[in-house]
Amino acid sequence: MTGLLHPDARLVDAAGATLGGAALRDRVADLAAALDRQPPGVVLAAMPTTVDAIVRFLGALHAGRPVALVDPRTGADRLADLAERFRPAVLLTGGEPVPGYRPGADPRLGEHQRRTGEPGPAPHPDLALLLTTSGSTGSPKLVRLSRTAVLANAAAIATALGLDGDEVAPTSLPLHYTFGLSVLTSHLHAGATVLVEPNPLTARDFWSAVDRHGVTSLAAVPYQYEMLRRLRFDPARHPRLRTLTQAGGRLHPDLVADFHRRMAAVGGRLFVMYGQTEATARMTVLPADRLPDKLGSVGRPVPGGAVAVDPGDGRETTEPGRTGEIVYRGPNVMMGYAETAADLARGDDLGGVLRTGDLGRLDADGFLHVTGRTKRIAKVFGVRVNLDDVERSLGHHGPVAAVAGADRLVVVAEGADDDRLARIRAEVAEALGTHSSGVLVRSVDALPLTATGKPDYRALEDRC
Amino acid sequence: MELEQLRTVFRNALELPGEFPVDELEYRGNEKWDSLAHMSLVAAIEDGFGVMLDTDEVIDLSSFDRARQILEKHGVVLTD
Repeated sequence: MTGLLHPDARLVDAAGATLGGAALRDRVADLAAALDRQPPGVVLAAMPTTVDAIVRFLGALHAGRPVALVDPRTGADRLADLAERFRPAVLLTGGEPVPGYRPGADPRLGEHQRRTGEPGPAPHPDLALLLTTSGSTGSPKLVRLSRTAVLANAAAIATALGLDGDEVAPTSLPLHYTFGLSVLTSHLHAGATVLVEPNPLTARDFWSAVDRHGVTSLAAVPYQYEMLRRLRFDPARHPRLRTLTQAGGRLHPDLVADFHRRMAAVGGRLFVMYGQTEATARMTVLPADRLPDKLGSVGRPVPGGAVAVDPGDGRETTEPGRTGEIVYRGPNVMMGYAETAADLARGDDLGGVLRTGDLGRLDADGFLHVTGRTKRIAKVFGVRVNLDDVERSLGHHGPVAAVAGADRLVVVAEGADDDRLARIRAEVAEALGTHSSGVLVRSVDALPLTATGKPDYRALEDRC
Repeated sequence: MELEQLRTVFRNALELPGEFPVDELEYRGNEKWDSLAHMSLVAAIEDGFGVMLDTDEVIDLSSFDRARQILEKHGVVLTD
């Protein structure tokens, strides 16, 4: 893709091998040429944190080939489901052959499979990237992103954060996840360095790599800030690390203030941001120097974006203090969702206008404050979870209600003893593929109900 | 204190069955022991044994045996 890869951009792997300049461009072009020889259509690629996976992603963009990025841990059943629903021409995944595909033989592509069954319809020419939106419950929808959206958001983030060629950012988040991918794209666009480091923040190897490669910034989601606090993160120990960025859900204002203080003490900065996969990645940023007087805000729109709220009457407003659904406009808004292969042929359904499903208000200076959700959605360790799906999966436990806690899911069960609560917790954690510390369980004598006899979720959330 | 107490802390944090042998456990090579489980484990060790681990101890806590050594450094001697 012309424009995403700055000539100075570099990838450095954990062993210290550098891939940049002409060598990186050649490898991307080579990969694109290999994809050109494959049957036409969408590519579905597992996206582990490796240089090879990044080159595959860049190669697909370069070849003008829409690419769906998925979690590298995606199991065989789920891959088969995705393949059946979206009919990608090529699977860049290893493991068991997926029904309707056979292994391909081009060594440049690594392990891959070609579709043998009926091909899907030709994808829309503007389509570049497909990302999943939620955790493991239900059938994931794909978010359709155009080439323009990917490029515009990479550029807007780079501008908003003032990224330049001296920046070095590690892959602190999964690359199939919108925020993690945008760290990659914004740094490649700015001609900066991306350290490809698969270990988590809790590993010694991660921090050794941070210091060895002179990492300058670190992107993290709320649960990682909890980890950094427990690790007693002290930027004075990492003399080049002077920027933290936060997105992926609401970070408690106490933690925002805490990390702002830690960074400010060494002349560093914390940027709080707000984003969604549906907006490619990020929509607003709170400039670090405004953080103290705008604590709790997610800032102003990134360059090229605009924010308004719809108080419920369909009339959008930017009037200070009015609360409503946040409506974002910008070139980074998705084309729409895809639930089937036919949807991949669709054009732009949204016209650059995204109803976010989040509630918020603007203040007198145009800074956005996110206050809640209009939809039954929770975030668990930064991953979106549909609360109604969770409730349905627990129906055999009698009356239960699932509500959102702080980056956690809370399940309230009527008349459950400790044993049952433990089983509910284990079942939900298993279904979501997360650690059970992401699921809190409580027992009540009777679920509070609204006048219409539905669970009173607001009352439950207030209690949690 | 009893070593069994540390074993229980490991089994709970890593969501392992009640009789699972944990004495040889290492961070690498156990898929249950991811970064989230690690933070649960650190929290459970701090709460369960009344200690505060520093940064290096948190990231060096890479095996059951290391956990035992770190606790000893904090004056918590565990007997089997």
